[in-house]
Amino acid sequence: MVAEVARARSFGINKTGARIGHLLDSERVFGYVLVAPAVAYILLLVGYPFVIALWFTVSNSTVAHPIAEFSGLRNLEGVLNDDIFRRALVNTLVFTLSSQILQMVLGTLLAFILLQRFRGRRIARALVMLPFTIPVAIGAMAWTWMLNPTYSVINWLGVHAGLFAQGPNWLGEEYPAMFSIILVNVWRNLPFTAIVLTAGISAVPQELIEAASLDGANWWVKWRKVMTPIIAPILYIALLFSLVFTFTDMTVVWLMTRGNPVGATHVIASYAFQTGVIAGALGRGATMSLFLFPVLLVGALVILRNLKARTLD
Amino acid sequence: MAAAVIAHPRVAHSRAYRLRKLRGSILFWFALGLFIIFATFPVYWMFVTTFKEVNDLYNLQNNPLLFHLPPTLDQVNYLFQKTNFTTWVANTGEVGLAVVLITVVVCVPAAYVLARSRFPGSGSLGIGIFLTYLVPPTLLFLPLSQLVVGFGLVNSKWSLALVYPTFTIPFCTWLLMGFFKSVPREITEAARVDGCSRLGAMFRIVLPLSVPGVLTICIFAFTLAMQEYVYALTFVSSSDEKMITLGVVTDLIRGDVFFWGSLMAGALIVSIPVAIVYNLFMDTFVRGITGGALK
Repeated sequence: MVAEVARARSFGINKTGARIGHLLDSERVFGYVLVAPAVAYILLLVGYPFVIALWFTVSNSTVAHPIAEFSGLRNLEGVLNDDIFRRALVNTLVFTLSSQILQMVLGTLLAFILLQRFRGRRIARALVMLPFTIPVAIGAMAWTWMLNPTYSVINWLGVHAGLFAQGPNWLGEEYPAMFSIILVNVWRNLPFTAIVLTAGISAVPQELIEAASLDGANWWVKWRKVMTPIIAPILYIALLFSLVFTFTDMTVVWLMTRGNPVGATHVIASYAFQTGVIAGALGRGATMSLFLFPVLLVGALVILRNLKARTLD
Repeated sequence: MAAAVIAHPRVAHSRAYRLRKLRGSILFWFALGLFIIFATFPVYWMFVTTFKEVNDLYNLQNNPLLFHLPPTLDQVNYLFQKTNFTTWVANTGEVGLAVVLITVVVCVPAAYVLARSRFPGSGSLGIGIFLTYLVPPTLLFLPLSQLVVGFGLVNSKWSLALVYPTFTIPFCTWLLMGFFKSVPREITEAARVDGCSRLGAMFRIVLPLSVPGVLTICIFAFTLAMQEYVYALTFVSSSDEKMITLGVVTDLIRGDVFFWGSLMAGALIVSIPVAIVYNLFMDTFVRGITGGALK
């Protein structure tokens, strides 16, 4: 009797074991087959071009002669000796960092406003989100028109509010132009930061905040010691994305100033476009683009770690 | 403790309390108002510019915020009749549809197995696909322009249909994975026990339950394609091959002359549908961008 049960059991185990093995086998095949098109597409149109980009940076390719000879580090040397590029490198850092800081500060404020209960909250939220929902290129164009040298509505408002007598030529002078580009970046990305922050803040358990209030914590202490630690991981991710997107973007600069006056407002991406596409110097342009890569890599690695930690949960 | 709460001198100081509360709410509405003005003014400005008479628009004596001549459709008519605007709309439709098709065909199976099956490397593959979303157009436009030459698609809108899936695929795969994960495993297991094949379970059980998810990624793939600028600017230069966003921001500038009225009309027409869609799907969109880091 006992032996019979044992035999039946072992038979069962063997049978299921075999079946699981068989299933695993087909699950594997099934998995690879179904994921293959996506991987192939990405390898062909992201991986392979990236390798070509690497080749461009060490070759003297131009649009006219894309198949070129190895030229070593001559592109890199040329790029590093280019004053406009060095300026673009600094600009990229300035634009990215100042946009991020402004976004974080204003975004936090906006997030707390949006979390209040008030009449018309949904409408207010939709209105505030507007810059993020319209295409970047369109938003940049609207601002270009608002900052037009002759018909600037901003200047009209400024003059009539008594802020200045004439108003700057926003996009034609160096510092006003840089300010304008940062402004448009903040305008565009503020809703994203705010929405991520609202999601984070509303995930903080209400009891914790109440407990802190009972203990006499003021809003700053509650923010620093209770909320920030809880929302930090989310904040981190949002910041990284926003950082990567701002750092690598050229749309706003290209549409608003084309890098002018005399190359003073170029960022890495817009100057790479100018050099590689407009002037046709593929090698040099690709070398410039590659300067975006380290930031991208660090961003990707940090996000990767964060994602892995989450998948383990 | 309870006594202390009751004895809180709120009633005694009700005037001061009310004053403070009033001050707080004035500050609140003021801040909200500023944010709303900052966010919406450019759109209001697009609107005003679109419907103004040219004489009114370029008259420096007038208050630019208001209409001094009756609103007109001249600029909109110019856009439709004297530019390739209708061609751009058609191009956007065709390319957008192609991008949606490619995205769905590639993403649905990939997202399905990445969400529901475990096989060696499945986790890394998923993360790898997601990370490609971080690769910006500005890193790849030069080599891709050579690839486009190789495909014989120079200055053709179809080059965009080829390239846009590089960012719609990662984005949509991750969004879809979320949708597929929410379908209970037991349902497919039951179907499998009843003799359904793996592929059958996907097509007959999970996909019908995930129709909203698939529709969502279609909408995102289309709108992401429709508003792209950098690749479009790099690969397409003839006016009649442009998509709507590129056409509006490049073709209404002839030399140094900007046709601001028509340009803003086009801008408004592009913005309205995209803005509505993104407002409706805002949370999903942000979830897609951040790869499910936000729950």
